[in-house]
Amino acid sequence: MATDPVPQIAEAIRLWSGVTCPNAAGKRGLEDFCALIKDFEAQRGTLVFEDEPSTFEAALRAEAESEA
Amino acid sequence: MSAILDDLALLSVTGAADAFAKGEAKAEALVSACLARIDAHDVKVNSVIRLDREAALEAAQALDKARAAGEKPGPLAGVPMMHKDMYYRAGKVSTCGSKIRRDFKPSVTATVLQRLDAAGAIDMGTLNMAEFAQNPTGHNAHYGDCHNPWSLPYCTGGSSSGSGAGVAARFFACALGSDTGGSIRLPAGICGVTGIKGTQTRVPRTGVMPLSFSMDNVGPLTRTARDAARVMTVISGADGTDQTAAPESVPDYEAALTGDISGLRIAVPREWFFDKADDIVVKTFEAALEVLKARGATVDYVSAPSLAAIGTYTAVISRVEGATIHANWMREHPGDYAIHLSGRLFGGYAIPGHYYLEALSRRGPLLRQFCKEAMADYDIVATPTLRMRVPTLAETDIDKDAEANWARHMVVSANTRPFNYLGLPTVSIPVGFDDRGLPVGMQLSARPFGEAKALKVADAYQRDTDWHARVPTL
Repeated sequence: MATDPVPQIAEAIRLWSGVTCPNAAGKRGLEDFCALIKDFEAQRGTLVFEDEPSTFEAALRAEAESEA
Repeated sequence: MSAILDDLALLSVTGAADAFAKGEAKAEALVSACLARIDAHDVKVNSVIRLDREAALEAAQALDKARAAGEKPGPLAGVPMMHKDMYYRAGKVSTCGSKIRRDFKPSVTATVLQRLDAAGAIDMGTLNMAEFAQNPTGHNAHYGDCHNPWSLPYCTGGSSSGSGAGVAARFFACALGSDTGGSIRLPAGICGVTGIKGTQTRVPRTGVMPLSFSMDNVGPLTRTARDAARVMTVISGADGTDQTAAPESVPDYEAALTGDISGLRIAVPREWFFDKADDIVVKTFEAALEVLKARGATVDYVSAPSLAAIGTYTAVISRVEGATIHANWMREHPGDYAIHLSGRLFGGYAIPGHYYLEALSRRGPLLRQFCKEAMADYDIVATPTLRMRVPTLAETDIDKDAEANWARHMVVSANTRPFNYLGLPTVSIPVGFDDRGLPVGMQLSARPFGEAKALKVADAYQRDTDWHARVPTL
């Protein structure tokens, strides 16, 4: 990873989404992304092959409070 | 303002509804009292975006006539309310706190507004909020910042800023807020009122501005847990239109408020919620636990799993979904957003699709793990609503200084976000004041669809304390 990935990320956003960095706050927000990538690295291996988003609603029902 | 009018404005939801039902107060008098209080004090607080004075008085007069004719009043009859300006009412402007939607007139009326109307509540207008409900402090560059009634230089919490400030200031008895990362519980905790977000899917979202469709919730801010219970009973349950709404039947939440919490088991997670917490917040929270123990509950400190991962995943989901919803406007006129919002949305476009899907896919397993490891032997998880003392508007203003204020702004919602990812019903109640005279809040979370249990504990606490009854001097 480059020392300062912010310009690359901003360019990728412009290329993929057609949105340009609006201001200093936009740049500041991207500075958090190195930490975000690290956080995701820490979770690698926890996603199970069969996991899918629809399990959330099922889990809500499975773990529901039994006493009304 | 006369003492009588002021007294009527001080009534809670149940107090006002019961007074109307018994014929002790007319709806017109209840509304007039609130309007007078708004006229006298909102110039300082700035909680209101649109005041529908005439329409509210006409609705109140119609209600008084119906009652005089012998019509049975609804459970919220005569109760003055105002709502965050993102609940659509057909033909009425809903700004969503933005410049972009300054003139937006929806063609539908939100299910929750229809239900409140049917229950007899009186809608007096719309409230200030963070632009598109996208910040946790309540700053608004277009309609002006809302101010904390307990001390005007301090923030109200967001995004339901006007809802929290207005209920605290006694401008109305109840306001709907919305909660995607804490936007009901933060203004409740920071303004010293009660607020609840239900189980994800508990309250239908038809006709409500979306922010992050996976984690958006509708709920009330009120003075008491009993008020919140009555409103939740009215607004919860599938409507046949919002296909994400849970079909489970809705209990009478108010009936659960017996005051008896003896033997109830409360868990306090050691991790995450106390990281770099202010001492006064921790001490106030611990004192609140003692009140619950004195009522017969037990309290244990426990280890809660995966909170760091939950925090990460929550941020990813809300940022990607928010960026997606706003993509066209971000391309076409980004300058119409406040600086902090366009800056925040911008980052959402950089998150890879597989990160987003991983965050969503882990949600079910992490909920199961949390319930198994942190809640298997417990009824309630208790946490501080905010780790820090209430910050000032100035020290969390990203528009003025992004570099200096970014981190302080972002940590405001650190304790509320996990419960959006987990989808757990969570109520915030006032439990004291800090050394600067600003409120401190406590969250009470139950298992999915356990709103009644969380409200029961909140109500039990409020039977033995008067923090919720204190009125700020304006």
